Amino acid sequence: MTATPPTGAPRPDTRAEAWRPRARRAMAWPTAVGALLALGAALVAWSWSDELPGEVASHWSGAGAPDGFLSPGAFVLVFVLVAVGLLTLFLAIGTRAGSAASTRRLAAGGSVWSGGFLAASLLSTLAPQRGLTDVSQVMIPGWWTAAALLVPLLPAVAVALLVPGDPAAPATAPVDPGAPRAALRDGERAVWLRRTAGGPGLAVGAGAILVTSVLAVAFETWAMLAIPVLLAGLFVAMFAFTVRVDATGLTVRSALGWPGTHVPADEVLRASVTEVSPFADFGGWGWRVGRGGRVGVVLRRGEALLVERTEGRSLVVTVHDAATGAALLNTLADRAR
Amino acid sequence: MLWRIDPAGDEPLYAQLVAQVRLALAHGELSPGERLPAARELATSLELNMHTVLRAYQTLRDEGVLELRRGRGAVVAASAGGDLAAAERAAVEQAVAGLVVAARAARLSTETTTTLVKEAMSR
Repeated sequence: MTATPPTGAPRPDTRAEAWRPRARRAMAWPTAVGALLALGAALVAWSWSDELPGEVASHWSGAGAPDGFLSPGAFVLVFVLVAVGLLTLFLAIGTRAGSAASTRRLAAGGSVWSGGFLAASLLSTLAPQRGLTDVSQVMIPGWWTAAALLVPLLPAVAVALLVPGDPAAPATAPVDPGAPRAALRDGERAVWLRRTAGGPGLAVGAGAILVTSVLAVAFETWAMLAIPVLLAGLFVAMFAFTVRVDATGLTVRSALGWPGTHVPADEVLRASVTEVSPFADFGGWGWRVGRGGRVGVVLRRGEALLVERTEGRSLVVTVHDAATGAALLNTLADRAR
Repeated sequence: MLWRIDPAGDEPLYAQLVAQVRLALAHGELSPGERLPAARELATSLELNMHTVLRAYQTLRDEGVLELRRGRGAVVAASAGGDLAAAERAAVEQAVAGLVVAARAARLSTETTTTLVKEAMSR
């Protein structure tokens, strides 16, 4: 005998795990690309072992002479271990929390970037030391470091864009009857629009931009000024969002146009109001991924709109008057069934 | 804020939008300096012609509620009266609630009641 749930009761989403094979497929080849980049660089470095001195400069505290030295073998090993660590981290994020396409894209891009960054750092550190016997004064040009950080962003973004998006997954069950509804007359149209901006994350961003600028100027490594410029762009994109609930569903979009996401009305299982604690729930502010792959647009502590979606996905946005948005979204989701 | 449009309603569509901005100001949901959504965004979401939204915004500008600036969009004017003190607002809302009770008891239609209010206001 099969148990049938009472009509009207919220049924568990039977496809809640459907994203897992999708996430494994999406992470397999970006992890391989990142590993190949790191491994390739390690092999190139290994092929240089005859030309490298017994101890290579491995650490610089400022713009001056090196203050850390390692044997070439140990140096390459450290890089390989860091590469394994970072690739494992991104693989874990992608396959364990990648229920949303945006998370899989971030993790895939992160794998490729870390492989590229480590490969570039390893080779740019060792290349100038080939054929030297005294490495006590060896210097790495500042723009090499900047390039090692920034150039791998290009393949990372390309790979992120190649990760397929979420396929349409309309809900089969009705919207949770216990969730709040908005009083709309038949045929009446409605839209709820809010802006959410600022918050403590913006102060963190301003601090990071200030520190990286001061460091770049203090050490006169002008190429490193690209870092605060990039951070400024990132923080402008991450700390002003428009939130819209209309007949198409929920749309959250940065004031810059990116990043953003859309939850179609027919994929909404339930919208409600929740309380967010940025650190406990998401580990910080901005576009975040929390437990169970929940995506958070977290600008501050407190009131937030929570949308539970088909295929085990959920989205949280910290926004005022979330109760109005949640009620309207449930009502419009009813209509989309 | 929440915007709603009832195509089956008696009021013209643009007038429905105008009324909602006035109400939001009266309830303190909108305040001076706040930016209203871009006309195109509002029109798309409510399945309206953009000119309907623009007409509503222009009507509100003519009333001194909005300032329309190129590039900045529609902004609630400083003189729009959104800075109504909470006590004043509560007093008006309470009086309106009393009026509604009396009008319902007398079986007056919404139209007749608002006409009475308009007449009283213009005296």
